[in-house]
Amino acid sequence: MAIEAGLIALGAGLAVGLAGLGAGLAEKDVGTAAVGAMAENEKLFGKGLVLMVIPETIIIFGLVMAILLWTKMV
Amino acid sequence: MLLPEQMVRVLVVGSKDLLERTVDLLYELECVHLIDFPADEEGFTLGSPLPAASDASQKLLRLRAMQKDLGIEEMKGIEPIRIDVLTRELDQMIESLHQEISDVVESKKKIELRLSELEQERKNIEPFVGLPLELDLYRGYKSLDVFTGYVKLDPEGVLRESIEKFELFMSKDGKFIALFVAKEESEEAQRILVQHGFSEVPVPLKSGKPDRILESIVAEEETLRKSIADLSEKLEKLREKHATFALAAEEHLNIIVQKAETPLRLGASVHSFIIEAWVPERNFEQLKKAFDENFGERIYIEVLERRERKGVDGHHEEEDEAPVKIENPKPFNLFEYLVELISTPKYNELDPTPLISIFFPIFFGLMVGDVGYGIPFVILGYLGLKKCTSNEWRTIATMLFFGGIFTIIFGLFMFGEAFGLHFASSSHGEITWSSLLGIEIPHHIELGALSIPLGLYSKLHDVKILLYISVWIGIIHLFVGYVLGFINVTIRHGLKHAVFEKLCWLLILIGAVMLGLALLDVLVLSKPLVMTDVRMVGGLVALVIGIILGFKGEGASVVLELPGLVSNIMSYSRLAAIGMSKAGMALAFNMIAIEMIAPGGGVMIAVAFAIFAVGHMMIFILAVISAGLHGIRLQYVEFFTKFYEGGGLKFNPLRIRRKYTMEV
Repeated sequence: MAIEAGLIALGAGLAVGLAGLGAGLAEKDVGTAAVGAMAENEKLFGKGLVLMVIPETIIIFGLVMAILLWTKMV
Repeated sequence: MLLPEQMVRVLVVGSKDLLERTVDLLYELECVHLIDFPADEEGFTLGSPLPAASDASQKLLRLRAMQKDLGIEEMKGIEPIRIDVLTRELDQMIESLHQEISDVVESKKKIELRLSELEQERKNIEPFVGLPLELDLYRGYKSLDVFTGYVKLDPEGVLRESIEKFELFMSKDGKFIALFVAKEESEEAQRILVQHGFSEVPVPLKSGKPDRILESIVAEEETLRKSIADLSEKLEKLREKHATFALAAEEHLNIIVQKAETPLRLGASVHSFIIEAWVPERNFEQLKKAFDENFGERIYIEVLERRERKGVDGHHEEEDEAPVKIENPKPFNLFEYLVELISTPKYNELDPTPLISIFFPIFFGLMVGDVGYGIPFVILGYLGLKKCTSNEWRTIATMLFFGGIFTIIFGLFMFGEAFGLHFASSSHGEITWSSLLGIEIPHHIELGALSIPLGLYSKLHDVKILLYISVWIGIIHLFVGYVLGFINVTIRHGLKHAVFEKLCWLLILIGAVMLGLALLDVLVLSKPLVMTDVRMVGGLVALVIGIILGFKGEGASVVLELPGLVSNIMSYSRLAAIGMSKAGMALAFNMIAIEMIAPGGGVMIAVAFAIFAVGHMMIFILAVISAGLHGIRLQYVEFFTKFYEGGGLKFNPLRIRRKYTMEV
């Protein structure tokens, strides 16, 4: 059980961590462009925000996987 | 409430002698959205400003210059001045104001100029103070050249080697030098100096000892600074005395200019003017009546068209677009800016403001769900709504206030916790308010037959059920989104299009949910797979019909977008996840403060309290950011994309806003 629990914890951690990295990479690019666009035209704030948070779903998937794994452990 | 107001396009024609009164009337009615007259219309030109414009703008110019001199800025809470009083005294007041301040401002400017001159002189003379020579000794030689300036390295040794006759003076820190050298050797000397990082400082055209000159400059600067302070004080007094009048007069003149320049947006022939404008249909009778009462038959009004909502896309050019007037009753109108942030709704689509104002606070409350944070949210939001005037801050205050109310509701009944501690004692052996305060707080309050829960779920221990609830909320949210989309397309293109574009997605959503429920039983509860299950059959049928409809309407892209729907639904799991992360952080701080440090007693209790306070402050701020952003993101990304296009033209009627003046 101890090893299983450890592996599950490891898997959960990887799910969140890697998904977070992926989301971060994607948001970095979108965010840069969004800020640039906003500097030109402030009205684009709303649209920029929407575009910027789209990749964020990736981390939520990772988190959900982690939670599902975690509930198996407890 | 949901659909923007019905607009009619109105034509007003009259003779030019009535123009001024017409413009006044248009501003009074506050329901006329002017259409800029096209400049190239045959037989017409653009109107010219009313005569009042030039005089008023001249005065305005003078007034603004004086405002700048006095440093008058916008003020709050001043008693407005009556227009008739203002009009009567305007010219005289501007004149006297001018007289009073012009002398002061003029002399202040002169002194400031002199001060900057002195500053320059001081900078020039300062380095020479370090050398023991009078300024006259630096000039007037026939056979000598004089170099004065800064050096980076000491040039004396090199000079001695290569130059016969010279005299070198150096300041104490060795950075400033004066070199006297015979003319025939000056080139060589200059070369050496340059090698030692020489940068020249010219000798000031004054005579006498440099330190004396510096003293007198400093003394003069001091007296000038004093008189500037005096003058500033005078100006300060003048500002206090005249600010109210100046602001009111500026506003008044501004309004006059604004009105007088309105004809620039109208069409005109030699003797007549022509106005085209959008008016909300329900205001048209009022407009017509007002014109009849004021001008009788002398002005002609006609409704050119009643703008339909159907099929407007792409058939009209931009300048011909009907403006969008949205009026939401309180408190929904507080959320309007959130929609505006994306863009104004189109004339032929539903305004999502009321729906956002219901869903957003619920989402926010679910994500934070803690009485301890909810109460400060409500207080902050309330203060913000009272004090703030800018749209951005008011919207943030609105989000905090209503989000806070739901935070308290969910925190009290659903999660039963404050500052991450549950009220009732828990079976998991954590600290709770019950164990902390030593009183037993029940899980339920019995009110007659009604049993009100104080904490149904724990954010950390009931993760599965909370995820399940989040996904259901997502499904409902998306369902509403597709219904709105269905209505929007029906309004724009008719029922047939709506069925193919949006009903298909509604069916797909329903089908997917039913199938999902059936499969959940099989996968999670390990029941046998029964193909005749109502949910299975119904789900499959709905899904297949939906896909076929979608395929007919939009082609194969429907199939490609199917995974998108699943990811949309999953996206709502953040409702549970963010609550969980907050609870996790709170748990950590509470454990550190209460279980690990506080038992130390004495000073440790104070330390524990400080950690508790700082930790929760941090979570509180994070809660605002994450719950606020994620709450609004679910609206913008998941919800809006199901129905919202935006890009409408905001209704912007001619109207006058007075702050410092008041009409009689």
